[in-house]
Amino acid sequence: MQTLLDILASGVHDAKNQLFQAESLLVAAETRHGIDLGEARYAIEAAARRLNRTLTAYRLGRHEQALAIVPTVVGDVCDEVLLAQRPHLAAASKTLVVDCQVFDEWPLDRELLTDILNNAVQNAGRFARSQIRLSAGLEDGGLRLTVDDDGPGYASLPPAGGTGLKLAETLARLHVRHGRHGRLELANHGPLGGARFALWLP
Amino acid sequence: MAALNGNPYAKKRFLVVDDQPTARDALRTIAQNIGAFAVEFASNYQDALYRIRNNAPDIILCDYMLGEGRSGQQLLEELRRFELLSDESIFMMVTGEQSYEQVVSAVELVPDDYIIKPFSPDKLVLRLDRIVARKAFFADYYREKRKQEYARALELLAQKRDSEAGRPYRFEILRQQAETELASGDAERAEATYRAILGNYEFPWARAGVARSLHKQEKLAEAREEIERVVAGTPNYFDAADLKASICIDQGEADEAQRVLDEVAKRTPRNYLRKRLLAEAATLNGDMDTARAAMADVIANDSMPGAVQPEDRLALARSQVIANELIAAEKTLLTLKESEVQNLTLDLQAGFAALLALAVPERGKARFAGLRPALLAAELSSTARLDVLRTALRLGDHELADHQAELLMEADDAKKTFASTRSLYALHGREVDFRNLQKKVALKRIKH
Repeated sequence: MQTLLDILASGVHDAKNQLFQAESLLVAAETRHGIDLGEARYAIEAAARRLNRTLTAYRLGRHEQALAIVPTVVGDVCDEVLLAQRPHLAAASKTLVVDCQVFDEWPLDRELLTDILNNAVQNAGRFARSQIRLSAGLEDGGLRLTVDDDGPGYASLPPAGGTGLKLAETLARLHVRHGRHGRLELANHGPLGGARFALWLP
Repeated sequence: MAALNGNPYAKKRFLVVDDQPTARDALRTIAQNIGAFAVEFASNYQDALYRIRNNAPDIILCDYMLGEGRSGQQLLEELRRFELLSDESIFMMVTGEQSYEQVVSAVELVPDDYIIKPFSPDKLVLRLDRIVARKAFFADYYREKRKQEYARALELLAQKRDSEAGRPYRFEILRQQAETELASGDAERAEATYRAILGNYEFPWARAGVARSLHKQEKLAEAREEIERVVAGTPNYFDAADLKASICIDQGEADEAQRVLDEVAKRTPRNYLRKRLLAEAATLNGDMDTARAAMADVIANDSMPGAVQPEDRLALARSQVIANELIAAEKTLLTLKESEVQNLTLDLQAGFAALLALAVPERGKARFAGLRPALLAAELSSTARLDVLRTALRLGDHELADHQAELLMEADDAKKTFASTRSLYALHGREVDFRNLQKKVALKRIKH
């Protein structure tokens, strides 16, 4: 029997395939005409991420999604966020810097975490004056991932949450190791003067 | 863009596997954009197997959903089963499905990486570069492993584990170490290595590794306990269900094994290794309809050259003989040519002769009698001994039958065959003799 979730999942799946086709057509056009359509491709990938996030939020809400934990090189996740976000931020004259001090693999849900960080950097980019920094380090026996910006900070703490923040919080909590759960910490007046988004994962 | 001079991907042969033409085109565009010159296509599972077998590509980009009830994961499993994929070649799963991540996080057999659509050429390059770097890091180890120089391979892994360059790969190093230890026959070490991984994180594949190692050490109850945890926690991890079934069979619980396999086989109708295991469990249970259907399916549809072996034909013939379908059994047995039979191991020759003696007595009895001295002297597998026992009981050859029964009951896998042995004796009204044999074996065990 097809559940509502099946229908949503297959719709998202088909839409993502079509978005992939659209992106490949842009890539072909870039090659053929020697132009840069990076911003259009960014919009396509952002739409796909949004579809993913919506489906994930729905699944988590219905407790129908478990995490997919794989050993992950933390630097690789940072590199992928950098690759996805830097050109877009550069187009708005903003700089993204990555500072990764973790060199070992860490057991985590790679795709969900990458998505959450992409979203956090994207949000930071909207409010930053000129700088965003993504950093990774070890703290209290866990992994700490931080996104700082030099914008005005969150208007209120805790902020009136959107899907992204809510999802980040749930994702962090679902990471469990040696009996400890992950957590999300939001703060103002971070090292760059603006908002700080921090995930701590066991 | 990425198509620079000295591009490492320019000279690589790519194979794109996808059943959707538009998706294939999209993948080709991306591959060409990163500099790939030779990009081949496969439009379905069989086509992909054929191309890879005839001329293995360097890099395979395979969609997870292949249509016709096939998945990229099945293709990967089949490629590994027939050793068509070298450690040096790259298998990248491409998926729009978030559900594939669940598969990758659970199972032991994983692709080199997976990438979720849509993705840019730059992202693909980033991922491929990483795989290339990892394979370079493990290159000397792969060579030793392929030569089955396990001690040397483990030595190399130990060096890598302690090196600075090995830091990003510590889980992969431990995983390779455990697999190599298992392959070299050191199940105790493998168990310890899997437990070291679990000390860091509760990966289902590592827990299954513990169960596999315990099974190899014949610690059946412990192995069962571990695998039950995996099956309960990750119901879609079908290899774990297979392992549970194998353990159940060895524990003498073929009915539970069959129940587990029945359920999983329904969801993976084209996994023929699983069908074979199902047939084995069903035969031990005396469920000949299931055994026959499963083996007939294997022989008709496990289509890779060399996939169907003489033991598969014997398994089908066995189910037919037990179901008293002797003409069908004869037909099955005679698909094996005389020259083929001559080249079989003694184990398989024994099974063949025993089954033929029941299916076609006028042809088979003489062959069976000719093997009799060997059957009394040689080491045989429990499957062959059960075949010989069945025929000896039917022919009234008590000496030969009791000899097989005794050795079956003394064997390491005695639990597996106990119920079948007992019911064969009962079938011929020899329950008392069976009990006496049982006592004799028990007494021998006490004296030792």
